[in-house]
Parts: sequence; C-alpha cells; structure tokens
Amino acid sequence: MAGGAPVAVEVERGAGLERGLAWLVATDHKKTAAKIAVVSLFFFLLSGLLALTMRAELAQPGLQFVSDHTYDELFSMHGSGMIYLFLTPAALALGLYLVPLQIGASQIAAPRLALFGFWIYLIGGVSMYSGFLTDNGAGSATWTATIPLSDSAGTPGVGMDLWVIGVGLATLGSLLIAITILFTILRLRAPAMTMLRMPVFSWTMLATTFTVVAAFPVLIGAMCLLLAERHIGGIFTGSTGSIAYQHIFWFYGHPVVYVMFFPFVGAVGETVATFARKRFFGYRALVVSLLFFTALSMAVWGHHMFITGAVKNQYYALTSTMLAIPAGIEYLDLIGTMIGGALVFRAPMLFALGFILQFLIGGLTGIIVASPPLDYHVNGSYFIVAHFHYTLFAGSLFGLLAGLHYWFPKATGAMLRERLAKASFWVLVLGANLTFFPMFFLGYEGMPRRVADYEPRFGDLNLLSTIGAGVIAVGILMVLGNMVLSVRRRIPAGNDPWGAQTLEWWTTSPPPLRNFTSLPPIRSYAPLQDLREAGEEREERAEVAA
Amino acid sequence: MSRPGPASTRSDFSHVWSIYLWIGVGVAVLVFVVVGFAIVRYRAKEGREPSRLAERNSVEIGVATLIAAIVAFLVFTTFHTEAKEDDSSRPDAVKIDVDAFQWGWKFTYPGQGVTVVGDSDDEPNFAVPAGRTISFALTSSDVIHAFWIPGQRFKKDAIPGRTNRFDMEFDGDGREQGLCSEYCGLRHSKMRFGVWVLSDSSYERWLAAHR
Repeated sequence: MAGGAPVAVEVERGAGLERGLAWLVATDHKKTAAKIAVVSLFFFLLSGLLALTMRAELAQPGLQFVSDHTYDELFSMHGSGMIYLFLTPAALALGLYLVPLQIGASQIAAPRLALFGFWIYLIGGVSMYSGFLTDNGAGSATWTATIPLSDSAGTPGVGMDLWVIGVGLATLGSLLIAITILFTILRLRAPAMTMLRMPVFSWTMLATTFTVVAAFPVLIGAMCLLLAERHIGGIFTGSTGSIAYQHIFWFYGHPVVYVMFFPFVGAVGETVATFARKRFFGYRALVVSLLFFTALSMAVWGHHMFITGAVKNQYYALTSTMLAIPAGIEYLDLIGTMIGGALVFRAPMLFALGFILQFLIGGLTGIIVASPPLDYHVNGSYFIVAHFHYTLFAGSLFGLLAGLHYWFPKATGAMLRERLAKASFWVLVLGANLTFFPMFFLGYEGMPRRVADYEPRFGDLNLLSTIGAGVIAVGILMVLGNMVLSVRRRIPAGNDPWGAQTLEWWTTSPPPLRNFTSLPPIRSYAPLQDLREAGEEREERAEVAA
Repeated sequence: MSRPGPASTRSDFSHVWSIYLWIGVGVAVLVFVVVGFAIVRYRAKEGREPSRLAERNSVEIGVATLIAAIVAFLVFTTFHTEAKEDDSSRPDAVKIDVDAFQWGWKFTYPGQGVTVVGDSDDEPNFAVPAGRTISFALTSSDVIHAFWIPGQRFKKDAIPGRTNRFDMEFDGDGREQGLCSEYCGLRHSKMRFGVWVLSDSSYERWLAAHR
C-alpha cells in the first residue's frame, strides 16, 4: 500500500489508546469519579436487566421463562448489584467528583488510594457477576446471605464464593474511596471554607463517609468470616451463630441505607436552592439533623430482626421511629427553601421534586415497618419490597438523576436536552409508581417476596407492576440517550448555566486539572449567591444615589 | 398473670395499623399540599424577588417537637401492643409444636399423639379450635424459615437450634392459608400449609381421626 494515509490513522489510533491508558491510570479526582460512575452505570444496567427478567417471569402466575433456581440467582444478584455495585459507589462517585470543587480544594487527599479503591471495587463487581459462568450459577442466597442458608451445604458452589469475595472487595473499594472523601473534607478545605460554610451536599457527604467508615469494615469482616465458614466451618454455628451473623450483617446493612440516601438529600438540596433562586433554608438545623441522623442510623439495625424473637424489639422500634425527627427537619428545610422563592422548573428541579414526594412514601411506610406488631405481618412480603423501592428507586435514584441533570453541564461542559429530560422524568414517574405501588397491596394481601411463582389471585397487580418495569426501562433509555446526544452534539454550558450558589460553578466546565485558577470570597455556604446579592445591593444603592 | 386484652394477632394488628396508616396518610397529604402550594404560589415570574430569609429556628424547633410528639404517641401504641403479644403465658392454651424444614412443615400436638407432616409436593393442613388461645413453639431443622399466616397478620422466624413461642387466636371457621416467608432455598415458594379453624367438637373429631 502506498501513501501516507494509513500511517496517519495508525498514529491517531495510537494516540487514542495512549489517551485511554492515561485516563485509566489518572489519579485526578474527577477522572477517578468518572471511572466509578461509568462502571457503576454498567452494573446498574446489568442489575436492571436482571430485574426486567424477574418482572417478565412475574407477569403471570406459574413458571414461564426461568427456573426456580435461576430466579433465586436473579433476585440475589439484582439486590446485590444495585446496593454493593451501583447505588453505594455511584453516591461516592458523586462525592468524589464534587466535594473538592465545593470546598475549593485542588485535589483530594490520597488520590492514589481512591484510584486503588476503584480497581478493588471493579474486581469485586466482576467477581460477583462472574458467578453466572460457574456450574451452580451466581450467588443465590439473597443480598444478605443469611446463615445457615449461605453456608457450603445451603448454597454450594464456586458462584456463591465469588459472591462473598465480590461483596468483600466491592465494599473495601467503597470504603477506601469514602476515606479519601472524608479526609478531603477534614483537611483540604480552602482557607476561608470553615465547616459551617461547606455547601449542603458536602455536609451530606461528610455524614455519608462517616457512616461508611463506621459500618463498612464490619461487613468486610463478616464476608471474611463467611468465606471461612464455607470452607473451614465452625464459625457461625447453632442458633447463636446464625443470629450473630444477622447482627453483624445488619450493623452494616442498615447504615448503608443512609449511604444511599444522604448524598441524594444533598444533591436535591443544592438543586432546590438553585432553582428557587434562594439560599438553602435552615442550613444549621440541617447540619444538626444530619449528625443526629448519622448517630441514630447506627443504632437501628435490629429492626431487620423483629421476627427472629432474638432482639429487644422495643429498643429498635424506639430508635427506628425516632428517625422521623431528623427526616422531618430535612423535609422542612427542603420545602422551606422553596417557600418564598422564585421557582424555575428545569429538569433537575423536576427530579428533585420527584425525590421529595416519592421518597416521602418510602419514608412514611418505613415508620410503619418500624413498629413490630405491623412488621410481624408485612416482613418478608412485597410490602417491604414496595417500601424500599420507594426509598431507593423512587427516592434515591430520582435524587441521583436530579444531581446528574444538575451537574452534567459542569462535568461535561454540555447542556442536556431539556425537553427530552423532562419527558424522561414523567416516563420514570409513571414507571416507578406503576411498578412499585401495587406491591404494597400484594404484600398486605399475603404475597411473599423472593418467589418466582405465586397464587393466581395476585396475577393482575403483578401484571401492572411488570408493565411499569417496562416503562421504567424506556425512561432509563431516554436518560441515557439524552446524555449521549448531548455530549455528541454539544450545547456549550459555560461556567454557571443555572445561576447556582456554590464554588463548583465558579470554575470552568469541565473544571481544569487543579480545579480553580481563582476563588471568590467565601463568607457563607452560598458564596456565589453572596456575590449576586452584593451586586444587587450595589445596583440599588447606585439607583438611589442617581 | 392475666392478659390485658384479646390474644388475636389480627385485632392487635388492625388497631396499630389504623393509627399508623391514617397518621401516615395525613402527613403525606399535608406535604403534598404544601409542596403543591409552593409550586403554584412561588413560581418564578416577572417582578418576583426571592426572599432572603435563610433560617427560622423557631419553626425548626416547633416542627421537631411536633414530630417528636407524634413519634412518642406511635411508640407508645406500639409498646402497648407489643407487651401483649410478648406475653405468652396462658395455661389453658392449646399447644402446637411446629418444625419447619426444607421444604415443608411438621405440626405436633404434644400429649395428643397427633402429628401432621407435609412438604412442597403435599401441603400439610393442621387444625385449631376457634376462639381458643393456641400456643405455638416454632423451630427449624435446617435453615431459617418463617411461619406466616397472612389472615392472622402475624409471622415469626423458625430458627434452627432455637424455639420461638407465640400465641394466636383464630376466629370464625374455614381454612387459613399459611406459608414460609423467609427465603430458604429452591422450593421456598411451594412451602405452604393450611390451618382448619374448627368448632370445639369438630376439632376433637379431627384430633381423633389423626391419632
């Protein structure tokens, strides 16, 4: 072949590869966060696909598409994938990207540790999912792997071992990432950025990472012990052993719920303040309530064990119901921010409102299941499935989408298509409620969770729920399509497309390697709002003078 | 010690449920209305200056106190009912031992020489006399199961090596469907049982027929 063209292509390809490699090993917090986001998105889609398969099977009573055993793998891996591999790491990725920008830091503490955390998490996720390639299939002992069902006799096979190892590694990865965020907050704030000038989102990340540091090591320990139990034995023996495992697991398993909640309260708080054109209402009360929330969240785990007869139910009922107090303060502050504002209903604001109103249903039903006499009926039923999907899907995922739509222009420099974003919001609202609301009735009427087959009388509501799952899938594809379209055919965002209030909007979109070339004066948790108000006052004075 | 009220788990549940549900619905309606009001009233338009009010601690404290009062009321209601359900000390109760296994149930009537066993291929049915307190002693032979009778609004874990005791009282007559509600492996969804609620004389006949 003659001519220089092929050579040029070769060079370009080489450069692309080099760029790709450079991106993979880059320790900049924004790039590490982007890597976590991409991988967690992948696991979200994979785990979502498992949910769609489950909903297809559940559309009608009887077994149509999958066997009982395959179904057990599906729900175990769906739950595990969403919690260990998607919502937790995605929440941390949001923090890893934004916290340094919000507190005026040029980098994170221990950037290589964060990158290491990412790789450990990725290996954990691959380990967990590779169980599908083994003889007995993937882990099938639910996302909690309760003893003795998860021991070598109850769930034999390498797939379950890969699950245990995967959960341990993914959790270790998340822990390392969280530690870097926590230390960044404590050590690397810009000079004038005192703790009580940190934006709301950064405060929620402080509460989140604090919870991670306290709770995640316990799960890592539990997975080590579970692996030893499976291969050596003699660790979780007898009824005390199985109860002890549940205590250890839920000591992680409840706090993680708040790891998947706090960051999205923060994202929604920032979004609401920006689109109300008003600074966040009740900042100090929110900080106090977050700390109270964090402390309390470590003391409620026994409510997952009300029906074991092995815990003091009254104690956990009391602490769990008390969670309504900090949650109520957060709601007051979010709504208080809207009252008296000048509300602009852009797509991020719609998702934020979706979070506020839909999470409410999850939160209020949470108060119901915190009462043992009520839990005795609904525990282990579809009522619980409905409850936690209202918190995690209709709540947290909507909060994540609020944050994603809000910060997407900052991270990419491109605006999302507004009409498509709004359409995807309404599709997702319809899908989420169609999928999860019928489950309250199913559970109350007596349908247990984790079954591939059910009584014929539950058929209609299940069909409704399956249709809803299809609508959700369409909504998710619309969100993804919007992102792809918007980075391909770019509408430039500029530094601050929303008229926002916090430091990340001071720098360029996307921010440069060291984040800032200058910083504005920092006198409150809303420095850009301070500048705007000072400017308005100057104008007013000038008018009066004229 | 005598019991402070009826033993029916169903009526206990209904009592607590109606309180929690209506307070929950009330709070939900309130929040939806306030958010709806804010959306309509504070929509951005020409000439609207957003308020600069950023804090009102009296409101925060007021709301926290109000919620704390609701929490106290709910917890009091729960504790009251929980104390009743925890007290399983009726000497004249009918005793039934339940042993759960993968994937079936064994019901034994101690001192009566009656045992009913069935598994996922052959659903077992046991009988109880209507209106009397039934004291269950529940355990498991292998993994953790849960004994759930949705019509009674009650369940309890069956844990190997541990016996959980609880009381139920069945009203009326007919058959109640029971099932396992703790995932326990392959045939979990088929691990079901039935309860015949019978009059005293029919119950005695049933016992005699199963001896």
